[in-house]
Amino acid sequence: MSDRILGAVCVVVAACMAWAAQDYVPAFSYEPVGPRAFPRLLAALMAIGGAWLVLKPSLVGNPLQGTPVKLIGLSAATVFVYALLFQVLGFPLATAVMAVPVGTSFGGNWKQSLVGGIGLGLGFYLLFDKLLDVVLPTGILSFIFGGR
Amino acid sequence: MMETLQHLFNGFGVAMLPMNLLVAALGAFLGTVVGMLPGLGPINGVAILMPLAFALKLPPETALILLAAVYVGCEYGGRISSILLNVPGDAGAIMTTLDGYPMARKGLGGVALSISAWSSFVGSMVATVGIVMFAPVLARWALAFGPAEYFALMCFAFACITGLMGDAPMKAALAAIIGLSLSTIGLDSNSGVYRFTGGDVHLSDGIQFIVVVIGVFSISEILLMLEHQHSSAGMIKETGRKLFNWMELKFTWWSTFRSSVVGFIVGVLPGAGATIASAMTYSMEKRIAGSSGTFGDGDIRGLAAPEAANNASAAGSFVPMLTLGVPGSGTTAVMVGALSLYNITPGPALFTQQPALVWGLIASLFIANVMLLLINIPLVGVFTKMLSVPNWLLVPGILAVSTVGVYAVHATTFDLMLMVGFGVIGYLLRKQSVPMAPLILGFVLGDLMEQNLRRALSITNGEIGILFESPISIGLWICAVTMVVLPPVVRFVLRKRIQPDQATV
Repeated sequence: MSDRILGAVCVVVAACMAWAAQDYVPAFSYEPVGPRAFPRLLAALMAIGGAWLVLKPSLVGNPLQGTPVKLIGLSAATVFVYALLFQVLGFPLATAVMAVPVGTSFGGNWKQSLVGGIGLGLGFYLLFDKLLDVVLPTGILSFIFGGR
Repeated sequence: MMETLQHLFNGFGVAMLPMNLLVAALGAFLGTVVGMLPGLGPINGVAILMPLAFALKLPPETALILLAAVYVGCEYGGRISSILLNVPGDAGAIMTTLDGYPMARKGLGGVALSISAWSSFVGSMVATVGIVMFAPVLARWALAFGPAEYFALMCFAFACITGLMGDAPMKAALAAIIGLSLSTIGLDSNSGVYRFTGGDVHLSDGIQFIVVVIGVFSISEILLMLEHQHSSAGMIKETGRKLFNWMELKFTWWSTFRSSVVGFIVGVLPGAGATIASAMTYSMEKRIAGSSGTFGDGDIRGLAAPEAANNASAAGSFVPMLTLGVPGSGTTAVMVGALSLYNITPGPALFTQQPALVWGLIASLFIANVMLLLINIPLVGVFTKMLSVPNWLLVPGILAVSTVGVYAVHATTFDLMLMVGFGVIGYLLRKQSVPMAPLILGFVLGDLMEQNLRRALSITNGEIGILFESPISIGLWICAVTMVVLPPVVRFVLRKRIQPDQATV
């Protein structure tokens, strides 16, 4: 079943690609093949591949079976929030906060995870920003760490 | 030949620079750790470290040496958890569990670890000598390639990677197409047309390679790791003799050597990789040993052969990447992406234009291998201790380092969000058993492929026949079609032949 969904999504994406690509005509053309041909070729191939999966899905059962959906949703949301607040909170703080839900999802208790997260945040900040010169944001804690 | 040796000598000059030696040692160490940790393979290791190498402003040859050392180190590290935990550290080490774990259970863990380190070393060395012998020849030959030949060559690479992807070639092909499509996003440099940007300024430059790679291999890996968590409770303490003896060395020598050669050849072929090489040599050695073998029950040859092969194929996959600019594996595709960050396009011209880079890399493969042998035999205890780093510390660490890598490139939140988006999409695709290596290959080769196609068709003013004109491109097209058609046919024939005596696996 899920192969069919994947195939259908591919067909839809391919159709969107082909639709979006129809305007890709340059004002001047110096070459016989313009910017439109290659995306169109890919859209056609993707549509064929998707249709194939719709018509001939593999016979594997539901791959979502036994998946800890809640846990994965939580982790994906955490990563999303981490990315969103990375600049605002700054690297050390954001990392310490992120480590709690991720750590507990991977079998730690929240105290361990928090301590680990603070350690990671500070350790990597010192390693990358101070030692290796990879500039990291300090966000709202910039009054402690300096920088932005 | 003299010329090659001269180049190699100069390469050692580059590799012996203190900075490069340090980086090779660091890469070898990190690679062993990443390879050893179940779930993380060479492609994750290289993907996570690549943006950091760039952010640290390492010169290109140093960055490439780091990544290559990580890659080779991973192939060494994968065996440790295979032997002690019965969990392969990376895909190439699956076959190693078959005889490595039984050996460890018999109390031969130390011997298993040391002999497999030795055969890894032999495999890598044989393959690196192979690179020295064949790469310059292939590069000289490839200089004659025009755009049409390149286009055909890339189609061949895709045919290999999809045809050999086992049970789901159509999904592998779809992955490649998705990767190619992603590469078309952004400004088309030939015509000045913005494609698929949706008017967003962040996308006008195209999607950063690092964002895709980290999303697809690091973020999605973390989500996948949630599903099969395991504890290191079942770890076997390595006991008894630490080092293999002369008898064991002599007993495994030919298996190791044969497998190294086969592994190298498999590695050179685009698409086939360490996984296929180790599986092939394992069954080959099993057949050669016949009834004298105790394969699957702790036969030392069944341990040495796949280890030699997966290391040899890892080194072998540098050949198409360096000479043709067409990466043969997911990991080398990531490396091509790394080079593109430095505005270096791998290809036959690389040997003449950047000899310091190419030969420095080759020389440092020799050096990294010696280092790896040294850290993998006496210091193996250090690594086994690391296997007990808990996941609740490890995973946030991986996530933090990955994010730092993406952030270091453009320092925008947009890139981070895009990374998460690719992580989730990658996770969903991988759940559907869509392989990610073809996607990365497509993303890396997309621009090159389109440019070559357009250039070829410009020559003939749009006449498509030029793609099938020269003997080289015809040969490549035939190879490509064979790669697509042959595996299903072979599988069909094998299935027919196996059915009568199903007992044998």
